Amino acid sequence: MTAALEAVNLTVERSKQTVLLDVSFGVAPGEVYALLGGNGAGKSTALLSFLGLLTPKSGSARVQGRSVTDDLTAARRVTAYLPEAATLYEHLSAHENLAYFLSLAKAAADRAAVDRALDRVGLQPEARDKRLGSYSKGMRQKVAIALALLRDTPILLLDEPTSGLDPVAIDEFNTLVRSLADDDRAILMVTHDVYGACQVADRIGLLRKGELVGGFERPAEGRIDTEAVHAAFAGRTVA
Amino acid sequence: MSGLGRELWFLWRDRAAKVWLLIGCAAAGLAVVFGLTEIAAQRDMIERLKAADEIERAVTTEGHREDWGSAAYYTFHLTYDPPEEFAFAALGLRDASPWKHRVRMLALEGQIHESDAANPDFALTGRFDFAFVAAMIAPLILIMLLHDLRSRERASGRYNLLSATSADVRMLWFSRAAWRVGALTFVLLVPLWIAGFMSGAGASKLFAASLALLAHLLFWWTVIAFVNSRTWTSTVNLTALIGLWLAFAVVAPAAIKASVDAAIGVPEGGDIMLTQREAVNDAWDLPQEATMTPFVERHPDLEPYAEVEGTFEWKWYYAFQQVGDQVAEPLSVAYREGRARRDALAGRLAWLSPPAKLERALQRMAGTDALAALQYEDEVRAFHADLRAFYYPPMFKGEAVTDAALAERPNFEIPAKGR
Repeated sequence: MTAALEAVNLTVERSKQTVLLDVSFGVAPGEVYALLGGNGAGKSTALLSFLGLLTPKSGSARVQGRSVTDDLTAARRVTAYLPEAATLYEHLSAHENLAYFLSLAKAAADRAAVDRALDRVGLQPEARDKRLGSYSKGMRQKVAIALALLRDTPILLLDEPTSGLDPVAIDEFNTLVRSLADDDRAILMVTHDVYGACQVADRIGLLRKGELVGGFERPAEGRIDTEAVHAAFAGRTVA
Repeated sequence: MSGLGRELWFLWRDRAAKVWLLIGCAAAGLAVVFGLTEIAAQRDMIERLKAADEIERAVTTEGHREDWGSAAYYTFHLTYDPPEEFAFAALGLRDASPWKHRVRMLALEGQIHESDAANPDFALTGRFDFAFVAAMIAPLILIMLLHDLRSRERASGRYNLLSATSADVRMLWFSRAAWRVGALTFVLLVPLWIAGFMSGAGASKLFAASLALLAHLLFWWTVIAFVNSRTWTSTVNLTALIGLWLAFAVVAPAAIKASVDAAIGVPEGGDIMLTQREAVNDAWDLPQEATMTPFVERHPDLEPYAEVEGTFEWKWYYAFQQVGDQVAEPLSVAYREGRARRDALAGRLAWLSPPAKLERALQRMAGTDALAALQYEDEVRAFHADLRAFYYPPMFKGEAVTDAALAERPNFEIPAKGR
């Protein structure tokens, strides 16, 4: 199957420092791929390369087979991005934020569709017309996820999506991510949450100092072994 | 929601932007109210002076008709430069340069350079008029509206989301900034146009002033866009932009003025007045020929009547008044030419300071600039020359003062300005 997302020998420099070196991986439709690594490992750099927000020094980031550098508009049209600690506009309500960002993306969604998306992410109806300034972090994250849902793109890029969420919210989020993958979406998630990655990902790539140093794959039954990933993450074993 | 509509809605929901726009509107509103009030006060004063001038001239004429010399000596004539309809927007030099004189048949230069600026304190700081708001305050408000357009999004972690989500990210930043520039232009121009219609300023002048303001704001938009294109923080952006504002709006005009003053020397008005008065005072002690000879060179038609027989004759008195002007003439000409040259050079150098250029443009449209002040001085000189042309022949010929002759006496009339 053609990879929806593909890093091909991707090397990226930031401030004249190599932060990603010769990294290659692919994410197929219906698959959740987690890039796991510590702070400064290069996870977000890889993700931002797929958004065209960073230009590779060599190699390429490809979306649906086309280099992002060559056709940025096409890449962004099929990609929804959920940033870490999604900070939407605090002076706007959930409905207003979604209307604004959907308009930015030139995506059409009526009020009923927006409410369905907010139902799906579990945002209480009574909160939807309140300003985001009064929301908890988890509630804001839900609005951002609803935005990704409403854009209805075949590819999702998630940057530390569960950072700062409580355990119940993390479980709800992981369930949602799995259901989105089951809808045939390709999902690239970068995280340092070993447990969350093992819970939701089909495959895990382990990044260390900009290099892909290992990988794990979900077995036919069950999940990726958390202990094994944790050991590799901590550098006690080679994956 | 279309892209433009979306960003207009977004601007409407931005409380800080609305506050800055309100400040802009209030500043422009206050400025035009001050301007209209000042112009109304100047017009009112001119009307009161005209009425008083007519009464006084009738009284002095009636009381001093024994000869033409007395009639000329005791009679004052009001001259004035009424503000144009658009002057409310740019009061310009009307604070520092006189716009009314009472002149009589004595030496003129001293009368011109006895400044009657209404309030010298205002001449130091400049009036709070629309030109000041447009040139100095509007860029500051625009800086406050635009300096953190991108940096605020970066700091809050939204920049990447906006970039990744937007179908046309350039259009996003353009339309977001364009609405702010447009809104500021609008809130500044609404008070101007209302005041313009109230004062009777022509639509073409208001349109030209609007274009000048828009060009000025576009300049600042370009400067701000350049600074915003760096990936600096909002604080650094603001610091850089305030520095540029100081450079363009304060330092450059001061440097231009200092350079122009140093490059083109201009005699002081006080020197002209002193030269003329010394010449007049000295004439009392000189042989009468020393006065009459240079006088008749300017008035050869009066030579047959130029002989002075007694120790005092009006024609000698007025001749040495005129010769006083003739002695001061080189200084006076240098003064006028110097000021005109300074103005021309300052106009060219003002391209280095768009705020100064805008103020100059608005003052030109309003007829309140240095050229307008010089034009008024020349109008006073022309009127005074008419007075001399009226009084000299009967005075030199010793004719009697008659009602018929007095009816022909010139009155000051406002020439067409042609600005």
